Amino acid sequence: MTLELPNAHRMALVEHAREGAPEEVVGVLAGSHGEPSAVERTDRARNAAETPHTRYEIAPKAELVVLERIEAAGLDVVGFYHSHPRGPLEPSATDARLAAWPGYSYVIVSLADGGANLGSWRWRGGRFEREPIRE
Amino acid sequence: MDVTCEVLGGGSHELELDADATYGDVLEAVGLSTQEASVLVDDSPVPEDRPVETDSVRVLRLIKGG
Repeated sequence: MTLELPNAHRMALVEHAREGAPEEVVGVLAGSHGEPSAVERTDRARNAAETPHTRYEIAPKAELVVLERIEAAGLDVVGFYHSHPRGPLEPSATDARLAAWPGYSYVIVSLADGGANLGSWRWRGGRFEREPIRE
Repeated sequence: MDVTCEVLGGGSHELELDADATYGDVLEAVGLSTQEASVLVDDSPVPEDRPVETDSVRVLRLIKGG
């Protein structure tokens, strides 16, 4: 279980997180889904949450557009990313309560303490399981 | 009532529902909650308490957290 995330995409996620701070940002990872999964493209989305400093959400119609765009490109949904502008790298209790895509990668960008750290977890339908990220 | 349900990114299901089933019942039939997913009819979300009035729906697993 690994997520292959080329450095250019890793940098794009950090850049998005920094641009959006202090609000959380969100997006979709596309490429080849499996074991491992490989990211070939990242799609930014608008955070439609009512409290975007502490929550993220892609509006259903916007999500549909992104998913159909990925399918039209012949790619798989690999997973999703969001930022924790001030929070820790690990998934929050809210992340676990609302996760709905078993087997998919949830990447988090934490900007806590002025740094920029990335981690990835697979949702196992009840718990997150951390997976290594490699280029 | 027979309903075809496509879970986006998760395959298709042929459902046999009660005549008075709601869109919330559609989600339950494919193992999802209203917190996790939304039913789309003609690409628009529909309330989970509304009776099913179509023979084909799509289900969108939501992307949200904190």
